[in-house]
Amino acid sequence: MFNPKEIIHILANNVRQTQSPFGIPKFMANTWFKDLALPEKGEYLLFTGLMYQFAPYIETSTQYLEKYEDTPMADYLKYAKYVPAYLSGIGLALMTPGKEKKKARQPLKNIAFLLEQSKVDFCYRPDLDHYSGILLYDMGDQAGFVAHAKKVAHRLQQAGIKKIITIDPHTAYALKELFPKYTGIQFEVTPYFELLDLDPKDCGIEVTLHDPCFFGRYLHVSDIPRKVLSNLGIQTSKIRNQGEFTSCCGGPAESISPALSNDIMDKRVKELETTGKPIIAYCPICLGNLKKSGANVEDLSSLLVRHA
Amino acid sequence: MSSVNLAFAKELKAYSEDTALECFNCGTCSAICPLVHDNFPRRMIRYIQVGAKDKILENANDLWRCLHCGLCTHTCPRQADPGEIILGLKRFVVANWRA
Repeated sequence: MFNPKEIIHILANNVRQTQSPFGIPKFMANTWFKDLALPEKGEYLLFTGLMYQFAPYIETSTQYLEKYEDTPMADYLKYAKYVPAYLSGIGLALMTPGKEKKKARQPLKNIAFLLEQSKVDFCYRPDLDHYSGILLYDMGDQAGFVAHAKKVAHRLQQAGIKKIITIDPHTAYALKELFPKYTGIQFEVTPYFELLDLDPKDCGIEVTLHDPCFFGRYLHVSDIPRKVLSNLGIQTSKIRNQGEFTSCCGGPAESISPALSNDIMDKRVKELETTGKPIIAYCPICLGNLKKSGANVEDLSSLLVRHA
Repeated sequence: MSSVNLAFAKELKAYSEDTALECFNCGTCSAICPLVHDNFPRRMIRYIQVGAKDKILENANDLWRCLHCGLCTHTCPRQADPGEIILGLKRFVVANWRA
């Protein structure tokens, strides 16, 4: 296990200096929209919260953390705070394979396509798409989270944004539940799958859906992707822990203890694999973590795009 | 030996909802917690109830093993909200580190 105090210090510093917990400048991380002609005006703002974009960088940093956890090298982490956030972020970006960055862009492109197919009146404004600060909240850095959340909420409010489409469960929870509570600013927040209206199909396949904790338990929306899949004739296998009782993928422990994260992940993968069906995730943290185990897993948006 | 701080539960009010005293130590939270480790989070809640602030600070790093998955809160028969209590303790410890 790494020293949480040092990890929190690094993350909080990174968010303060670069608005990204990993120090990656936004112009390097957020490029998925560049070859798409997405509208700049619409009823809803598509707000990715940059979580899918960060996934390959999380994977790279976890590989290093995994290597040094519980070794004498772990003590050197305390010196990381002296490295400027941009510098460490650019270093991390350069160490992350381009192939992985490209893969991470695909779910976002899929989601934009699915929303267009569903005739949702949405726009994308990269200048308004920011990290929500959720990791600071989860780590207990309340002051850091509130300061960051206020900046993000004010920018959205100043731009006249009222309705937001989110993609991942962590950003959805932050914007829907935490922003009103800690910034006093409220938006109508809807996860993308709630707005999908795809033509019915009869695919006749079955998958195992892994519900993320925040969609299943905190936001109570895990029945919605099941309905979307069912409309396409895709059945979801019953597993022991699902919906409101879903089991954690282990992802949230990655930065503090990759070993603990792997233990939790192994247990969850065993549960998911009992059905023998392909596993579908709908959170970038779950997706990355379950993939690490070697399981046959893909993002919900990839499955939907293939059959929409 | 640990000292007991009877005002500790009140001190924590600045960091989370005051629900720790609702807990009657049934252990459901520890049984369902994916960590399955050393009576977590029940042990931490007990420390709050008996005012063992020092014990919490001594074992502070354990708080960050919590995945914030919410299973404990979802199953707590007393609505003591163990997940939020652990998050409140993290906030308390971070504030202490920065003090």
